Amino acid sequence: MSQEIMEFLKPRVGARFKMWLNICAHCGLCANTCHYYTANDNDPKMIPSYKIRFLKEILRKKGKVDRDYLQRVYETVYYECNMCRRCTLYCPFAIDIALMISLLRALLFSQGIAPEGLVRAIENYKKFGNQMAVTDEDWVETIEWCEEETAEELVGLKIPIDKKGAKLLYTVNAREPMFYPQDMMEVAKIFHVAGEDYTYCSKPGWDDTNLSMFCGDLKTSKMIVENTFKRAEELEVKQVAITE
Amino acid sequence: MDFFSFVEGPLLWIAFLIFIIGSLIRVATFVSLSTKKDKIIYQHFSWKYVFATLVRWILPLNKDLVKNPVFSILGYIFHICLIVVPIWYAGHITLWEESRFEWSWSSIPDGLADWMTLIFLAIAIFFLLRRIFSPGIRLISAFSDYLLLIVTALPFLTGYFLTHGTLDGIGFWGDNMQLFHMLSAELMLILIPFTKLSHYILFFFSRGASGVEFGRRGYSI
Ligand code: SF4
Ligand code: SF4
Repeated sequence: MSQEIMEFLKPRVGARFKMWLNICAHCGLCANTCHYYTANDNDPKMIPSYKIRFLKEILRKKGKVDRDYLQRVYETVYYECNMCRRCTLYCPFAIDIALMISLLRALLFSQGIAPEGLVRAIENYKKFGNQMAVTDEDWVETIEWCEEETAEELVGLKIPIDKKGAKLLYTVNAREPMFYPQDMMEVAKIFHVAGEDYTYCSKPGWDDTNLSMFCGDLKTSKMIVENTFKRAEELEVKQVAITE
Repeated sequence: MDFFSFVEGPLLWIAFLIFIIGSLIRVATFVSLSTKKDKIIYQHFSWKYVFATLVRWILPLNKDLVKNPVFSILGYIFHICLIVVPIWYAGHITLWEESRFEWSWSSIPDGLADWMTLIFLAIAIFFLLRRIFSPGIRLISAFSDYLLLIVTALPFLTGYFLTHGTLDGIGFWGDNMQLFHMLSAELMLILIPFTKLSHYILFFFSRGASGVEFGRRGYSI
């Protein structure tokens, strides 16, 4: 395992990471800037600088760490930091703690350690292009259904799908067609009344969430973004708009 | 050559050379590795953000002054004394004038140098106590953090003893204070490139890199 860990880390531990691990003055200025620290009665273990000790240790031990150790890393990088980057705004050296936490998450993911929900979402992205495993047919059907329902209220309302040359490609959170289609209806009304020239796309690229980023799975992350870009190019839109 | 002449001559040269060349190597390593592995810095490079972030943090114009005023202000004073006293203390300038370089520049009054030294030492002691007694700081402190703080403070302590003859009555210590002063300063110079003290120069690169990354996203830098 240690070899795999090092093979994963070597190309990814860049000049900044090495410098940061070396120059962190352990001054503690970042401590009270982290919400995990203040929300836990100033628990020393929540000091941002302390959380990245794992990266330093793993590198020093040349990846020779066991499963239990990685489990402890997991507890910290998923439950004691949400990679908000606030601490960096207060660190005199602007050490990007979140970036290093992200690398640790990616390392864990490469070793098969990640929250179940995220793993499921990633499988869905790969298979269906969206996190909720909505099939292309269901997606188009949902839009059509939204159109029917909304048109009862606003006569003449249309929800364009794959309209070439539209100004906007509108993308949603995949939870919307799944659980909150009323959000899509509200948006349709606004677009209709505002006379906005927009369109949905029928093929993958319409889900603008990118949950794979949270476990540092950059490959899937990239695929998701590329899907949207592909659709935008095919439809020759000017801009991509994302749901709130 | 006796030990004193060695410390006063060759060792001083060695210390300065290690300090200068070591620092250059640290910078060169960062630059060359970052052009390969941290391309993002260069893809989005902007002097605007680099300057903005450096100015805000070299001058006390940043968020920390509000968030942690006491520690930040002490930090600034600590660093000002650390830089000003060794460079502008009249006794040191005389040595430069007498050296083969014959360099000379104006000095600060001895009285000011004294006060700055005492303030520096007081802050150093405060930092040390904070490291020992504040649970959070103690948790994140490594052995080297204590050691380097002491290494940084020693030249000031011995310098003060030397100029004031504080320990002159105490045989061995009094007789060799000049030796201790030089040795402690040389130790510090030698350790700088290999430890977190290298932040004196890497600060610019670290802030610069994050300044580019955060600036382009519109975060506060
Ligand atoms: S503020 Fe920066 S240098 Fe200080 S302990 Fe935190 S990460 Fe390290
Ligand atoms: S990035 Fe992580 S460690 Fe830093 S403030 Fe946010 S949650 Fe805390």
